[in-house]
Amino acid sequence: MKNPFIIYIIQRILQCIVVIFIGTTVTFVIPRLVPSTNPVETAIARAQMMGQYTDPKAVDEMRRVLKKLYGLEGTTFQQYIRYWGSVLRGDFGPSFSSFPTPVMTLIRVSLSWTAGLLLLTTILSWIIGTLLGGLAGYFSEKPWARILEIFTNAIRPIPYYIMALLMLILFSYVLPLFPRGGAFAIGLTPTFSWQFIRSVIIHAFLPALSLIVVGIGGWFQNMRVLVSNVIREDYVVYAETLNISPQDILYKYVIRNAALPQLTGLALQLGMIFSGALITEVVFNYPGLGFLLYTGILRGDYSLIMGITFFSIVAIAVGALIIDLLYPLFDPRVRYT
Amino acid sequence: MFNIIKDLFKFDGRFRFSIITLLCIILFSLLSFWSPYDPSSSYYVPSNIPPSAKYLFGTNSRGQDIFWMMTFAIKNSLIFGIITALLSRILSIFVGLISGYKGGIIDKVLMSINDSFIVLPLLPILILLKFIIGRMELTTLALVMAVFGWSWDARLIRSQVLSLRERDFTYTSVFSGMGTLKITFKEYFPFIIPIVLATTVNNMLWSLGMEITLAILGLSTVEIPTIGTTIYWANQHQALISGIWWWLTFPVIISIFLFLALYLLSVSLSEYLDPRLRIQQARV
Amino acid sequence: MKSSKAAFLLRLVLLILIASLVIPTTFSFSQEKGLEVAPGIPRSETLILEDPSGRSTNPGRFNLWGGGVSSWSTGLQQLALDALWYIDPDAGIEGKTWINSLAAEPPVYNKSFTKMTVKLRKGIYWSDGVEFTADDVVYTVKTLAAHPEMSWGAQMKVNVKDVSAPDKYTVVFDLTQPNSRFHTVFTVRWCGCYIMPKHIFEKQKDPVAFDFNPPVSLGPYVLKSYDSAGNWFLWERRQDWQRTTLGMYGMPAPKYVLYEAPGPAEKRVMAQLNHDLDVIHDIAPEGVVTLKKKNPTSVTWFDDFPWAHPDPTLPAVLLNHEKYPLNMKEVRWALTLAIDIVQVSLASYNGAATISAIEVPPTGHYLEWYFDPIQPWLEKFSIKVGGKAFYPYDSSIPSKIAEKAKNDLGYNVPTDPKEIKARLGYGWWKYAPDIAEKLLLSKGFKRDKNGKWLLPDGKPWKITILSEAEARPTMARAAATIAEQWRKFGIDAVHEPTDQVWTRTSYGDYDASLIWNVETWGGHPDLFWFLESWHSQYYRPSGQPIVAKNHMRWKNKRLDSIIDQLRRRSFDDPKCIDLGLEFIKLCVEEMPTIPLMSYNVFTVCDEYYWTGFPTAKDPYTDPVPNWANSKYMFVKIKPVKR
Repeated sequence: MKNPFIIYIIQRILQCIVVIFIGTTVTFVIPRLVPSTNPVETAIARAQMMGQYTDPKAVDEMRRVLKKLYGLEGTTFQQYIRYWGSVLRGDFGPSFSSFPTPVMTLIRVSLSWTAGLLLLTTILSWIIGTLLGGLAGYFSEKPWARILEIFTNAIRPIPYYIMALLMLILFSYVLPLFPRGGAFAIGLTPTFSWQFIRSVIIHAFLPALSLIVVGIGGWFQNMRVLVSNVIREDYVVYAETLNISPQDILYKYVIRNAALPQLTGLALQLGMIFSGALITEVVFNYPGLGFLLYTGILRGDYSLIMGITFFSIVAIAVGALIIDLLYPLFDPRVRYT
Repeated sequence: MFNIIKDLFKFDGRFRFSIITLLCIILFSLLSFWSPYDPSSSYYVPSNIPPSAKYLFGTNSRGQDIFWMMTFAIKNSLIFGIITALLSRILSIFVGLISGYKGGIIDKVLMSINDSFIVLPLLPILILLKFIIGRMELTTLALVMAVFGWSWDARLIRSQVLSLRERDFTYTSVFSGMGTLKITFKEYFPFIIPIVLATTVNNMLWSLGMEITLAILGLSTVEIPTIGTTIYWANQHQALISGIWWWLTFPVIISIFLFLALYLLSVSLSEYLDPRLRIQQARV
Repeated sequence: MKSSKAAFLLRLVLLILIASLVIPTTFSFSQEKGLEVAPGIPRSETLILEDPSGRSTNPGRFNLWGGGVSSWSTGLQQLALDALWYIDPDAGIEGKTWINSLAAEPPVYNKSFTKMTVKLRKGIYWSDGVEFTADDVVYTVKTLAAHPEMSWGAQMKVNVKDVSAPDKYTVVFDLTQPNSRFHTVFTVRWCGCYIMPKHIFEKQKDPVAFDFNPPVSLGPYVLKSYDSAGNWFLWERRQDWQRTTLGMYGMPAPKYVLYEAPGPAEKRVMAQLNHDLDVIHDIAPEGVVTLKKKNPTSVTWFDDFPWAHPDPTLPAVLLNHEKYPLNMKEVRWALTLAIDIVQVSLASYNGAATISAIEVPPTGHYLEWYFDPIQPWLEKFSIKVGGKAFYPYDSSIPSKIAEKAKNDLGYNVPTDPKEIKARLGYGWWKYAPDIAEKLLLSKGFKRDKNGKWLLPDGKPWKITILSEAEARPTMARAAATIAEQWRKFGIDAVHEPTDQVWTRTSYGDYDASLIWNVETWGGHPDLFWFLESWHSQYYRPSGQPIVAKNHMRWKNKRLDSIIDQLRRRSFDDPKCIDLGLEFIKLCVEEMPTIPLMSYNVFTVCDEYYWTGFPTAKDPYTDPVPNWANSKYMFVKIKPVKR
């Protein structure tokens, strides 16, 4: 007797693998379609831009050698097979623009900063946004709920770049409360000392604040709508007639039910932290994957691009998988036949 | 129909505010057809003049009249956002409803496709596509964004449908012999509408945000005025640090009003369309 | 009450938010501000400069010979490494532009330019105590030649037949073919082939993979620490600084030097206003104006308009000679005459550009070597239009730019014509769209009923002009203005900013590009740096990437003969200047590219902690901080008593 749930799990995992496969293939092919991001050419162009006088014959020689070194010989399909071979062995290969440093070395430092900052901000903005959205949705008649609504919606359309820059100017220059950029103070080395940790917190404050402020809006909006749906449910009306206290109704019934679709969103958003936050990194000089990926694209560094996006793709796909599998646990009404 | 609109206008303050604001903004962007200046030209008025009687919104460092530039920018950004939102709504509603209700193989196939779109790293692909296509018109960009913008919301709609499917009224409809399409579109729609409206606003914000990001990186057609390219040029001329605050303030203020209006409109419309709410309000 | 608990929750959330704002504040008040750059590093003993390459993606790697080092200007090429010779783009630290660094004298060639002998300086030591000798040079050349993928590797392989060291301080090169300019590989213009430490690298199995971390310095500073995320690099002066080539001129005053990637332009301005950044590499002209207004100690190359340091590089509109109709010189001239350079200068540089009508940059000594002699010829130069002679050169344009900058932007512009010439340029081509029209009509172009230009075959004329994007705002602004002027003239012109402009132009995938391929020494009149690759033997058709600098794919017999003659002459032969003038005349007639201006860099130095930076009044070197030549600044600046 086959358990339908087991069948579902297997099917869902297969689906996840298919998704990862498709995503990786697309990301593999597209950079190679762009002739102007050829890594060999960008490497040579950078050498010439650095004012190196390159003998014309020497340039030809460099081209020949670089192509071999980067493993760009053969057709795209052959490169593709080779790529999967090395990935399954855990080897993402050397970065082209920073040859021969391995891609993982480049990613490692940026990854820890990105993950730290974005994990914190995503979860915090989700919690705050969902809570506030729930409150505003339930007490939607109250004036403070209305004001909150209008306020969050007024913040949302402000372009993030301007918001970040304004915060920087206001809190780092006009009121010199926070440092201007970087992940930690100059001269410190990453250790577990209190001095270092304190420096990290101070430096992360403005980037985190800007991300949270902008992030709250979306979750707030969605939650509010979901709650306004739930409160019309029969069981809520019933609970109200039973004179159960509003706090209990709010927390035990309304928010728990309305938050379910929000959880899906959270899982996907958490997967996306591997793409980094490019503008945050640029404005606040925060070392992260976004900037690494962007420079990788400009330099046609195929292996770096693949390395970073592979993490991103896997994280999002697995996040979605986990949420789908756990959904029936949260909402018993959902059944998979 | 007109009676409904009249009633909403009279009784619902939010509806009133949003309709008036939206009309003002649309009128503002229509003004662009009477603009005395070509939007891609520059240095035709003295630079860096603050807002005054002669130049309502002031002039920027490129010698352009900000008022007239804004009419074009708002118009372009608005059209861009609407195209993206509309196209992706259609896709996401369709996929979300069918996938959520039908389940089985159809659900798996659709969700596989859907998730493949979600996992794709959007910004790198947009940048690379821009390199391939070169001079990308705004409408092309809107189409591309629509193709990438439906997957998230489809999932949201699908999970809502999954909850609805197990409810009593669904079983009632099925036992009464209603077909799939009729159930999904007639019975579920009122539940879906608020989400759809909310996600439309979300989607417009998202696509405009992407357009702005691309423009700041210098990747869009910088001669076409949009909110994004306005920020690009203000950056190029270091407006913030030079004290030319009016260059950026007006696009931001107009965007805020636009989205507030859209949001309030979506809220009041979804409240109106929900039949149970109408009954509740009738009580009052 | 229903709402009380909810309201309480709301207040709690708000309280948490406010608390999280206040608590870090109390932290930062106790933070060290302005007295120390880092623990134990006093601000008054540190010079802080901007590294324009931005955040290093691979900061732990210092082996720039092996490649893969995303930024050479982290202090690595300026302070730690050294080369045989330097040519100063300005006047030179002792008034001489040719500087013997690791070499004791200029190179000596044999008559047929197949052998080069170099005498090295004695008494120079690496920072780990090992002496610098000819063995290091020989090792460098042999290693690079054996690995063509290394920086300068292909050059060594192609040019050097053999290299040897007859004694500890002499190196002899045997070249594969006559090359009178082989020594330029070892001569620093921004960078050059630096010398590797043999005793470090020979122990490594793979000289390419070796990270050279920490680097062993030949210059007067050693690496003290760096940011693992790549945002800053801190250097400390060596105890034995006298045993370096820079030490000949005195002790470098700053004990510590910090190169950092400060981020967007607004941040750089804010940093210098707070006296946290001593040398800014480049900002937009508006930023310079703000700095000079708000910070009395900010110093620029020219103390007043146009402020910027002219680099010996010539941004120009490169035209693709393989795209019809740009292969016709009348068309190229027509495009030139349809450009209003006054407008372009104002739009891009707010008027602070040093314009050039000819194919060499108006910087350094080039004014006296090339610009002064060619003026009479330019005034007399004419093109035949409709049977009449038209004189396109206009030497009053720089004054017009100054006027406009004063009236429109309120700048304090120079009035002395000599000053205007030195700061803004000698002149440019007239803005004459009517003559341009006649030129086009004579070639079979027609206007359609809307006034737009049609090619002789009837198709509408479209041009896309590429430029870099937000990385170089002045170039993007110039390209946008040129596109607009061409549109006014009736061509369907569009500006496309893209960071891919270099690769695309290299492949020939463009109509017009606003970049530069003319780069010169500044301190030496030789043009071979870029000119050699313009020879038709190096021509590559579109679809293939070009070799070095001939993006236009221009082929010309007279040009070939000039280059052949230059090849046969030595580097210092005075006749090279005459050949250079012939080259300039040829380019005026053919207009292969449309020269615009020199690359003006708005380097701003803060004299709050340090004084004595190079300026136009005292041009002893180049203050632009990412040039390796800027190392000569360190021995002349002095601390301010605070």
